[in-house]
Amino acid sequence: MRPRPKRQPVGTRSTASLTSPKNDGTRWNASLPGSGALALWGILCFALPLCVAVMVLPSGCAKKQSGATSPLLNARAVGYGGPLLSGLRKDARSAFAALPADSDELWILARGGGDAVAPSDEAPGSGALMAKIEEKQVPMPLKHTDVRASVSGYIGAVEVTQQFLNPYSSKIEAVYVFPLPHNAAVNEFIMTIGERRIRGIIRERQEAEQIYREARRQGYVASLLTQERPNVFTQSVANIEPGKEIDVNIKYFHTLDYADGWYEFVFPMVVGPRFNPPGLTNGIGAVARGATGISGQGTEIHYLRPGERTGHDISLKVEVDAGVPIEEFECKTHQVTSEAMTPERLVVTLNPTDSLPNKDFVLRYRVAGQRIKSSLLTHRDERGGYFTLMLYPPEELGALKRQPLELVFVLDCSGSMSGRPIEQAKAAVARGLRLLRPGDSFQLVTFSITASRLGDAPLEATAENVQRGLSYLSSLQGEGGTMMIEGIKAALDFPHDPQRLRFVCFLTDGYIGNEAEILGEIHRRLGASRIFSFGIGSSVNRYLMDHMGKAGRGAVAYLGLKESAARIMEDFFERISHPALTDLQIDWGGLQVSEVFPRALPDLFVGRPVILTGRFAGNQDTGVRVHGRVGDQPMQVVIPTTPAEAATHQGLPSVWARMKITALADQSTRQPDPDLSRQVKQVALDYSLMSAFTAFVAVDSSRRTEGAQGTTVPVAVPVPDGVKYDTTVEEK
Amino acid sequence: MKRWLTIFCFGLAAGLLAQQPAPEESRSRFGAVDIYVDSGSTPLAAYQLEFAATNGVARIVGIEGGEPAAFREPPFYDPKAMQHERVILASFSTAAVADLPTGKTRVATVHYQTTDTQPPRFELKFQTVGDAQGTKISAQASFMERKMP
Repeated sequence: MRPRPKRQPVGTRSTASLTSPKNDGTRWNASLPGSGALALWGILCFALPLCVAVMVLPSGCAKKQSGATSPLLNARAVGYGGPLLSGLRKDARSAFAALPADSDELWILARGGGDAVAPSDEAPGSGALMAKIEEKQVPMPLKHTDVRASVSGYIGAVEVTQQFLNPYSSKIEAVYVFPLPHNAAVNEFIMTIGERRIRGIIRERQEAEQIYREARRQGYVASLLTQERPNVFTQSVANIEPGKEIDVNIKYFHTLDYADGWYEFVFPMVVGPRFNPPGLTNGIGAVARGATGISGQGTEIHYLRPGERTGHDISLKVEVDAGVPIEEFECKTHQVTSEAMTPERLVVTLNPTDSLPNKDFVLRYRVAGQRIKSSLLTHRDERGGYFTLMLYPPEELGALKRQPLELVFVLDCSGSMSGRPIEQAKAAVARGLRLLRPGDSFQLVTFSITASRLGDAPLEATAENVQRGLSYLSSLQGEGGTMMIEGIKAALDFPHDPQRLRFVCFLTDGYIGNEAEILGEIHRRLGASRIFSFGIGSSVNRYLMDHMGKAGRGAVAYLGLKESAARIMEDFFERISHPALTDLQIDWGGLQVSEVFPRALPDLFVGRPVILTGRFAGNQDTGVRVHGRVGDQPMQVVIPTTPAEAATHQGLPSVWARMKITALADQSTRQPDPDLSRQVKQVALDYSLMSAFTAFVAVDSSRRTEGAQGTTVPVAVPVPDGVKYDTTVEEK
Repeated sequence: MKRWLTIFCFGLAAGLLAQQPAPEESRSRFGAVDIYVDSGSTPLAAYQLEFAATNGVARIVGIEGGEPAAFREPPFYDPKAMQHERVILASFSTAAVADLPTGKTRVATVHYQTTDTQPPRFELKFQTVGDAQGTKISAQASFMERKMP
């Protein structure tokens, strides 16, 4: 079992939790609505005496409920109920009415969180629907997710529709924590009630949360979208009446990844269970369905227990217009059907038999031609010109040979890697060890709760040492927490041989909640190392992996559970077997270019282009010159660019703004600056984009729903394919 | 017994007090304003209007599409203007001319929240309206605050 981090105090949460005296897994979780400090004061000063008072009242409630079976509810509730809880019990009865009469399930319902709950504590988890169910279908308010993607060039426009349906007989608030690509520029949000469609408004996050809370309190249907991480979002929908459906439609643009001749479209379907180091409270907790608040984290994801299913399924369709003939495509993650409309156009649809949203959808396709020219996309509107440039490495790099290497393989051996993921990681490292040449050296570092390594110094890549490494590798297992910071320190503080190029390879699923701390540590300790991150598994934390590669002046690659571990390592060796084009500088010629992101140009490795985005003015035919160095030798690449003839894409302003936000956020991990949050917020508001400091809110003010604020129901999700529930999810 | 009863009453009072909304919350009210365009007998295919909450007591919390199917999609807004509670609403329809509305048509509804005791004031500026050929046409724009139950 993975050791749990010490639970943190919940802070100002106005929630009174009453746990059953019996350790039977049943729990009352009653939230008293309140107002800020007054509510807290009231509860602290009077709730305790009140509880005492209620306990001595000559009521039969306690005795009756404790251990008694209610024929009406067909449930065994444990605890006590006083006058203040009577409404809560009424809601519970209503909810039970929605269940089959022969249900043997145990349902305990709790009132949704009070209005005074601090935003960070609020969702998901301001109230709870708790159920104890054996191997069966679990009703959940998220019915279906539909994804429609349109890829043009290397930019994807994606529309995600989440269909919420209240399956209970009383009003609810649904809270769903879900993933999107970390570079998604989310710029549209529409709430649909019947045939009426209401466009959400981008607001400062705190303001949007206030509006949502107030609308929820007053009984209006409302929805709120917040960002917890660049790739983790929370969707809240308030006052969904029994049997009613409310759809939320989200649109975003993003750039596709490209590596070794393949474009890659990824749609993540579930957030993996994260480990949060002791002391962290703004992480992402992984808790069992209904176990609200036990992680002590600001955001919690509720996971279904083994054998449980909800009716939530997903449909997905991707239309690719590559502009040039598509030679081949593959989808190793899902069963799909495909249709080639023309040689340039491809439609791929997820097979309905593979609609369980428990792993990333990854579609890869290769276009015609051995070498793809660097490609410029532009867009102009009343704000000016925007461009993206996919900058490919010069072919000449492939002909040059490398220096001796010093390779440090760092394996995540935590509980979430247990099983197939760690076997894939070990197979990849084993292949890497066998690809080393005489003159290279290597080291193996592992981390879970602590870090350990094969030796105190790099080992020469002799046959004997490689065999020693393989033996060490075969002994590794996945268990324990994910103290990645220990792995970072052990790998980057390791003594370096200046005669060799040092590459540090992290093989992990990235299931941690302290990404900013990790990235900051990489910036501080990187030195002469380059980091290549390998995301292992079906639903990797791609934000972390991608940014580790960028912060480490390296690159990222992903290894799914069904992919060849040997191939990913061979591709990596091919990449590092040739020198990179470093110290890049760009002469934009006649183009008047400004605000180009990323600000620091990364090195160009064989097979790995980089995407630049910026603003521009002017319309001159020009040649963009890329200057760099290969080892000690200068190199220049000329890219002909003709803005007037370049392909256009309306999503470019959003893509540019998203990359600017990313650059500002990255800057804050290196050097905290209070003004950066203001800058991020302003860009996000100007371009109507989601960010850590902005949120979308939509309120239907045309009608108030009846009754008090509904019960909060966190949407429970399956653990990712290949991840073990027992080693990753907190139960108590 | 009396003592326990006193504690209970205190507790109950505190609990009820704690449930009272904060002053700003108690003043909070949501409302909706319907926006109309009257293009006479000419089918309406596109419009751009500027709607603003002028006295600083209302903030916009949602923009709903109009009544006819051709304008059911909620109009786009300018995010920079929105930061000042001005909303430049623009929408167009590519529907067949026969499916485009004529006469006075509700093209959008703006949902708002106010937390002030004084009523919000709104202003609507007519910018442009076009027909299916993209030609500017003469039309009138108006708005009406919806009576809430």
